[in-house]
Amino acid sequence: MAKKKISIGYRVLHLFTYHPWLKFISLVLAMVVWLYIREEIARFNY
Amino acid sequence: MAYMWKSIIEILILWIVIYHIMLFFEGTRAIQVLRGIIVLLLAFFLFQKLNFIVLDWLLTKLFGISVIAILIIFHPEIRQGLARLGQRHLFGANLREDELENILQEIGRAAENISKNKLGALIAIEKNTPLAPYIESGVLVDARVSSDLIEAVFTPNNPLHDGGLIVQHGRIIAAGCLFPLTQNQDLSRLFGTRHRAALGLSEETDAIIIIVSEERRDVSLVYRGRLHKDLSQEELVSEIKEAMKIESV
Repeated sequence: MAKKKISIGYRVLHLFTYHPWLKFISLVLAMVVWLYIREEIARFNY
Repeated sequence: MAYMWKSIIEILILWIVIYHIMLFFEGTRAIQVLRGIIVLLLAFFLFQKLNFIVLDWLLTKLFGISVIAILIIFHPEIRQGLARLGQRHLFGANLREDELENILQEIGRAAENISKNKLGALIAIEKNTPLAPYIESGVLVDARVSSDLIEAVFTPNNPLHDGGLIVQHGRIIAAGCLFPLTQNQDLSRLFGTRHRAALGLSEETDAIIIIVSEERRDVSLVYRGRLHKDLSQEELVSEIKEAMKIESV
């Protein structure tokens, strides 16, 4: 709920317990995409 | 040093964007397609690194075509996603805590009474995803949430009793609404159309759905494709509160 008070502790815990695998996979994917784009930029010398 | 920080920030932004895209598709049928695309992307990156020219060429061509395929496959999700952009209101965003408590108690009481009277019910509470397409399929009510009204709606022979009731912004907005049925083939045959509709809606939206089974006289809650069975009135209210707390952190 938007107006419901949620403690900072709960938020921090939630950050690690809510979809941890999804967070991990998306981090790996973000790194792969970033590396790929950087290589492409370097190759074509944009 | 500045370059390193910029790179970290870039990766962080990419991470947040990718995570939210994946979170958006989580619990829907599209997640399987998304998983396939991710595997292909990783393979594509690997082939490039290993200098596999033929496989690299093949995947490059495949990605060219897949852009159109993705637009067609994800057409409903893209439309829904664009509609959701910037819409962060939650059910009862303008409600006080005591008002919300009162509404949840009314819903809990109605579910308990309907179950005792050996009747069935299907109630959806809108969270972030707008339920407008489903509201349009029913009859507009726009009334204060009360257990008596909910029980009246689900009384047999009532024209609105067949279908779902939708609660939006703390009000009963529509009744007799049609929900999409789940395509999950693994679902037990013990579950009827009501459960299939609840699961179907929860696969496509983040609505919190309450089902009262006519046959088994039990109250269940469905959220994000997960079914919580045999709930008491107190358990139901606390499960709804828990589902409302879950945000896309």
